[in-house]
Amino acid sequence: MKRKWRRLFLIGLFVSFFSTAVGSTLYVLSRLDVLTFFYSPTDLVRKNILSGFRLRLGGLVEEGSVDRSSGKMVSFRVTDLKQSILVRYTGILPALFREGQGVVVEGILGNEGVFIADRVMAKHDEVYMPPEVAESLKEKDI
Amino acid sequence: MRTAFLALLRRDIYLSVRQEGGSGVALGFLLVVVSLLPFGVGPDLGLLRQLAPGLLWTALLLATLLTLDRLFISDYEDGLLELFMTASLPLELAVVAKAFSHWLTTTLPLAFAAPLFGIVLNLESIAVLPLIATMLIGGLTLSFVGTIGAALTLTLRRGGLLTAILILPFYIPVLIFGILSIDAALVGPLSFGVPFMILVSMALCAMSLTPFAAAAALRSALE
Amino acid sequence: MVFLRLTNPNLFLRFVDLFFPWLAAAAGLCLCGGLYFSFMSPPDYQQGELVRIIYVHVPMAWLSMGCYFLIAVSALGTLVWRHPLADVSIRAAAPVGAVFTALTLVTGSIWALPTWGVPWVWDARLTSVLILFFLYLGLIALSHAIEDLRRSGRAVAILALVGLINLPIIKFSVNWWSTLHQPASLIRSGGPSLHPDMLRPLLMMALGFSLVFVLLYLMRMRNEILYRRVTSLRQMQARLQASPGTLPDVFGEVL
Repeated sequence: MKRKWRRLFLIGLFVSFFSTAVGSTLYVLSRLDVLTFFYSPTDLVRKNILSGFRLRLGGLVEEGSVDRSSGKMVSFRVTDLKQSILVRYTGILPALFREGQGVVVEGILGNEGVFIADRVMAKHDEVYMPPEVAESLKEKDI
Repeated sequence: MRTAFLALLRRDIYLSVRQEGGSGVALGFLLVVVSLLPFGVGPDLGLLRQLAPGLLWTALLLATLLTLDRLFISDYEDGLLELFMTASLPLELAVVAKAFSHWLTTTLPLAFAAPLFGIVLNLESIAVLPLIATMLIGGLTLSFVGTIGAALTLTLRRGGLLTAILILPFYIPVLIFGILSIDAALVGPLSFGVPFMILVSMALCAMSLTPFAAAAALRSALE
Repeated sequence: MVFLRLTNPNLFLRFVDLFFPWLAAAAGLCLCGGLYFSFMSPPDYQQGELVRIIYVHVPMAWLSMGCYFLIAVSALGTLVWRHPLADVSIRAAAPVGAVFTALTLVTGSIWALPTWGVPWVWDARLTSVLILFFLYLGLIALSHAIEDLRRSGRAVAILALVGLINLPIIKFSVNWWSTLHQPASLIRSGGPSLHPDMLRPLLMMALGFSLVFVLLYLMRMRNEILYRRVTSLRQMQARLQASPGTLPDVFGEVL
């Protein structure tokens, strides 16, 4: 019995050290915003980005900014409610793309701060409800 | 104990430098990859410039995998590993010596050769220092985590591919942060230090913890 | 203490035989009910009918992680108590876990293509689940590669414990980093963000798939135990033929 407890203790010690080390690394990681899949418009405006490199920009599609007037090309502004960046895109938009909805665009930050996207991905949140409920929630808000 | 550790380290370095299958294999592998790639993707210098850091890093990772199986195998075959178990040097420290000598003979030459090979890949000059630094630090994690894989597959005759499968999940994060650091140095918007520190902390975690897992695996293999 | 007695392989086998039909019936019932409610539930206000994939995708994802946790606990059993049944448990669970992880990835892609616009992205959540899949493959490959049962059991257990770090990464990846994948809907601060009409089928499907998992797991464990017994009986027979009169003690060694 004694040997078993000793083994349990040793393995427990190992696992706890392991998880503490990894956990603290991950904690720091979560604070630092390193592993981001996309950057926010504020990130792009504040920090210097070399133009010509591919990156991803994420945020909300600004209400009333979607412009489909010029043929196949769509332009819209991506905002994080502090800053916004104009995005140009030619191609098919995902079904969930609409104003006020989360979006991640991939492409190149061109000159004059215009983001030339070649891929648009819709991002949705973790809230799921029937349309009627969404309607009544909206009415209550107004 | 210190003399035993240093003696083991020195012996392993000598062996891998003078024997076949050591540093030469790693460097040769890099040469093959670098000279094949431009034909594979076409001689577009702009494209190669973007691919270069990732390609060199992947080559380091594959070269590490390629040389992992010689970590313990020769000592296992001539019975030396059984001696380690009874020696005054704890098996964990023997693993550290093994991993460190693997790093010195694989990662170290590759990290300094990579920028030279990078010339033909149109590697940007500002990427050179970050590339060397990330490879050196990330390579530590690769070598130390690799000891677990090599120890688990010790008794198998063709353990090389299996080692690769076992170790792959643990190598992916190292590659991610290595490339992230170089990207940060090149493009931003992060500063180089942030992902690089993570690479460092990963190396510290690996160095302090993997020897125990690898030694446990060796013990169960030799029992 | 009743459960501790199940660590006796004989009692375990009897337990499996006794409860198997009941478990199967419960699983069937839950899945039928879950499917009914899945199709009866309202569409989502944004995704419409597409949201129904959640009733398969989320249970699969939970089970693929839960299965790894089960493997890690069994690994502790192998390393600390050296119990052969713990090793049997890892061997039984790993392929089932791999299949559930693969299904998580596939159903996720099916869901992502119409909603996000792409079937696959390399964000933190998707990547860490893919790594989980690789971990399962590694466990399966290693358990098949080493022939000596006791040694392979311990090697697999060590690998399983080392791979445990991936579980918290999967769970928290969506909260810590900005990912394309949405955060968790159910286990979150502030309660589930799912409408109750959608929560009901989700929980029923989760229960049903969990029962299916348990069924497959128990079935595989039973097969593994029987297989080991047959092997050791064969070995015994071979040894008896080679040197009649001696009864070697191989039976107790394996199970």
